[in-house]
Amino acid sequence: MTHNPNPNLDHLVDPRLIVRPDRYLIRANGRSTRFLVVEIAAPTVAPDPSRRRPPVNLAFVLDRSGSMGGHNKLSLAKQAVLESIHRLEVEDRFAVVTYDDQIDVVMPGTLATPEARREAARRLAGIEPRNSTDLHAGWLTGCEQVAAGLGAEGVNRVLLLTDGLANRGVTDPAELARLAYDLRRRGVTTSTFGVGSDFDEALLQAMADNGGGHFYYAGDVAQMRDHITSEVGETLEVVAREVVLELTLPDSVRIDSLSPFRVEQGGGRTRILLGDMVSGQLLTIALRLTFDFGSVGREVGIVLRVADRDRAFEAATPSISSVSLTWTYADTNANDVQPRDVEVDRVVARLFAERAKQEAVRLNREGRYDEARHALDGVRRRVHEYAGSDTVLRGLVDELSEEQVQFAAPMPEMARKAAYFASSNLSRMRTAEGKSRRA
Amino acid sequence: MPEDPYSLADLARLADVTPRTVRYYVAQGLLPSPDAAGPATRYGEGHLARIRLIRRLQRDHLPLAEIRARLERMGDEEVLAASAVLDPQEPEPSLVAQDTLDFVRTLMRDAGVRPTVATPQSPVRRLESMEAPAPRGARAPSLPPAPAPAPASPPPSVHSSPGPVPESSPARTAPDRTTWERLVISPDVELHVRRPLGRQTNKRVDQLERIARELFEDP
Repeated sequence: MTHNPNPNLDHLVDPRLIVRPDRYLIRANGRSTRFLVVEIAAPTVAPDPSRRRPPVNLAFVLDRSGSMGGHNKLSLAKQAVLESIHRLEVEDRFAVVTYDDQIDVVMPGTLATPEARREAARRLAGIEPRNSTDLHAGWLTGCEQVAAGLGAEGVNRVLLLTDGLANRGVTDPAELARLAYDLRRRGVTTSTFGVGSDFDEALLQAMADNGGGHFYYAGDVAQMRDHITSEVGETLEVVAREVVLELTLPDSVRIDSLSPFRVEQGGGRTRILLGDMVSGQLLTIALRLTFDFGSVGREVGIVLRVADRDRAFEAATPSISSVSLTWTYADTNANDVQPRDVEVDRVVARLFAERAKQEAVRLNREGRYDEARHALDGVRRRVHEYAGSDTVLRGLVDELSEEQVQFAAPMPEMARKAAYFASSNLSRMRTAEGKSRRA
Repeated sequence: MPEDPYSLADLARLADVTPRTVRYYVAQGLLPSPDAAGPATRYGEGHLARIRLIRRLQRDHLPLAEIRARLERMGDEEVLAASAVLDPQEPEPSLVAQDTLDFVRTLMRDAGVRPTVATPQSPVRRLESMEAPAPRGARAPSLPPAPAPAPASPPPSVHSSPGPVPESSPARTAPDRTTWERLVISPDVELHVRRPLGRQTNKRVDQLERIARELFEDP
């Protein structure tokens, strides 16, 4: 391996890229839909006392609207922020912004020295709940603080917390999502935290997805504190930023992602943006490919590679090279009898189920109980068709049967948000509580 | 990033043509000869991009002679550029810190966002105004957020009015900026609370909410 000029990239080990198609034959005289499961493991940092992790640069953006006075939400949010600040090193940077309909930069971006941390505690003590919610302005101000100290290495991120609806400034979820994406491409990522029942989870999820971060739901203040702690902890463990699964495909093959990651196409490549990955993190993505007609015996191939902004995957040992995959055109009979990879079926079924659940949450909220039940039942029936004797797939069928009943009746908002959060995490291959999965 | 060179079979699969077609294109002068020959033959990204371009031009009904004439004049960069025009990709924005900062500041200025920035000396100090647009957060009576669709109607006194003076907070709230929060107790019962409130009152509201929820819980 050639000498690496960045010592932080030494001692990265065991990255993985494993690709599993559900079937290898495609129809000669028809279109074929095939699925692909891609398992990616980020390199793990091998223990090394001389390795310094890159510094992080965070901005905590806290909602201080009037409703944050309930249940000690603001006090506990402040506490969680201070606890997180105390875990930083002196090379790390942090800023604190509070917002209601006015924006206050309580702590402009600063290195996390002991004096800065004490000052942050003093200033936060004086912040009490106040007015309405200009989330857009608060968030942008946090972005400015991060941008002012943008680190070339390490995570640069805004952590945005709210308990309510954005009701001042820009409130359109699509516009906020687009802005979050624009900032993300310029190096400032966004994670979002929603507390209680009143915030819009679609908005916060979209900002996090487009912003390259994560969305968290806290039903109570204890969960809020856990989530803030967990998120900050993970920023300290990021080993590869802006990980991209890159595919080279023939023009005749269409691709879409069943996993809710952003897909970009252009320049002859399809890129799936996976965001930052922590040491040893496991991500499993499912893709759907559509093939055209072809002549029996002809082969179609794709190539997959993993890349990241810091070239951590490239620098890790052993290095993983690209993976090539080939499908062969065959007649109908050969197609019908070919074996399927049941593991792929399981992943695909799970993703369809979670999509249906998230849809059911929306429908239930609108009082469309029959449609909510129907959405879940549709997936249940389809999975049942190919479940056969597979215990995992049959378990999923049972799960969907139970959930249909639940979603077909009025649900408290908290239950809906909790269901949404768990489902959102599972479809992103995180734990139900919102943590990265590790190898 | 270094690209893996492709074998003839790989190239054919990726380009969705037969190996025979690739050899035909080489023979016809549409593709440059690959390095080496026989089993060790290697093709590169330039070959793949060229085949893609050839196929596109064929779909546009250009004769092979015309296609060859165009490709002959193109180096690898031009071929890749031509592919990019047909299959554009959003250009990567700069990751230079100053560019990002300028971008954010432009967004803030356009939206009239003017935060108050604390300095080392004092907890909060207003920034001198440098721009004309009406600042956000100007003293205007604020209406409570529009109620979510619900059977209950909001309480009668929902317009702005002087609220109770917060007890312990050092930051006095302007009386015309209070808002009402709706706390759901059960599907048919809500508690309406004017915010912001002092710490003691908040605690009592929490208690009331807890008791109310217990009262209306299903037995």
